[in-house]
Amino acid sequence: MEEKDWESSPLSEKEAVLLCYDDEEYQFGAPVPKLQFRVGSSKARWIAELGMAEVEVKRGKLWTTTGIIRTGKTFCFIEEAVYLSEIGELQLLGDEDDVVISLKDLYREIAEGKCGCCWENYEVYRYLKGLGYILGRHGVPWTTNDVVNTTPSDEDESLCAGEFSQDKDSITKLLSDMQICDARPVFDVYLPNSHFKKSSPGEPSFVACFSRDSPPSKEEIEVLQKRVASPLMFCHIVEGRASFFSFNSIDLLVLP
Amino acid sequence: MAPRWKWKGAEAKALAEPVSKTVSELQSSLAQIEVSGFLSSCNVLLSVEPEQAEVLDRCCFGRPVVSAEKDKRWIQLSFEEAFFLFYKLKCIKISLRGRSLENEVALWRSMRSFKTNFAISYKAYSHLRSKNWIVRSGLQYGVDFVVYRHHPSLVHSEYAVLVQFICGNDRLKVWSDIHCSVRLTGSVAKTLLVLYINGNVNTENMNLPLCLEDYTVEEQTIRRWSPELGREDETRT
Repeated sequence: MEEKDWESSPLSEKEAVLLCYDDEEYQFGAPVPKLQFRVGSSKARWIAELGMAEVEVKRGKLWTTTGIIRTGKTFCFIEEAVYLSEIGELQLLGDEDDVVISLKDLYREIAEGKCGCCWENYEVYRYLKGLGYILGRHGVPWTTNDVVNTTPSDEDESLCAGEFSQDKDSITKLLSDMQICDARPVFDVYLPNSHFKKSSPGEPSFVACFSRDSPPSKEEIEVLQKRVASPLMFCHIVEGRASFFSFNSIDLLVLP
Repeated sequence: MAPRWKWKGAEAKALAEPVSKTVSELQSSLAQIEVSGFLSSCNVLLSVEPEQAEVLDRCCFGRPVVSAEKDKRWIQLSFEEAFFLFYKLKCIKISLRGRSLENEVALWRSMRSFKTNFAISYKAYSHLRSKNWIVRSGLQYGVDFVVYRHHPSLVHSEYAVLVQFICGNDRLKVWSDIHCSVRLTGSVAKTLLVLYINGNVNTENMNLPLCLEDYTVEEQTIRRWSPELGREDETRT
């Protein structure tokens, strides 16, 4: 694949078309194709203080299962923005200007875990999205009448509007951002569904949870299960490989 | 996972002869003749008539010791099996150093002296047996027990059991333990079942089998989910 510096100005229409056909490795239907921006991809603008992007141009049906709606506008979280950028469906523009934010800068945002999504979370997001599952941030309604920077009532809310102190150089702050990957619920996951509606999504199939270095203890699972109505699935990622485990309390059948 | 019966008619046979009924038969059969065994450092050796050996086998207690003797059968019982027959079913006698034990305390203490985790292991064993599951060693699957819903000749075991004392943190501590146990049990079509034994760690209490009444057991299965197989609708966004 031709290495292109995405930090330069957006592709002209002609360049974009040429690149599509140039890439011999591109295959239709591959989960994460090595793809350049398609002609007419969606556009969104990154809003630093929200840690989210506001969608300005929508292309394709993917928006029925991506992004949250607030006061008629669509916003997406970092993992959604990065995933769509990776697969060439979205051009993410900077706050101040129309310069496309590079994948490098986006990866760095995720690596730093500042916007409620750390790298492990993103691996799971990308993997399940690629398989057709529908994912939303746990505790964040797909659509409400509130504005996007309202303080949420649910304590699991992971919108990061206004959360960050001015002192971004402090080591403590740096580390606490990194430690967001504690035993916590992160994504609501729905089975692939072509009739999915944000206005009535129904209950998720499960909630993807992450615990830290070691498996969740029985107590941690009990505490989480009390707070979350849906089944819990714990994700473990090593070297980009995700495994999913469910821990279920049962009452073993009494046999005759 | 649905039970995997081993042959056509196996399920019907199992229904016709519930485990609880066979265990009652065993209890009366052994008690009538005053069956006695003796304790070694790792098991209890029992000498029985062929008919009793047959009933023991039908309930899956013990393993036969092969011998040329025609009129007697030798059976070796694990500590858990022996204590269950002695304490719970009260159908065998056990002698220690030539003397028949009158009560369970001496037996309990002897078994605990030979096997450190005996109290917890026995609690799990008796919990499973009290629900009428057949319980066997799970060593070949890297677990403590495997349980069958009826005789192993009729059905494959469904659960591979790991026993964890709630205060201890020695099993499934790290992610690779979980991967290892779940994948291994999955590869033999069993579900991993963890039994958490809650109770007082007080060593004095544990000197008496009465401590068993203070212990509770919680059951938890651990399953691995495969996203590629989990989808019902193939439609992609």
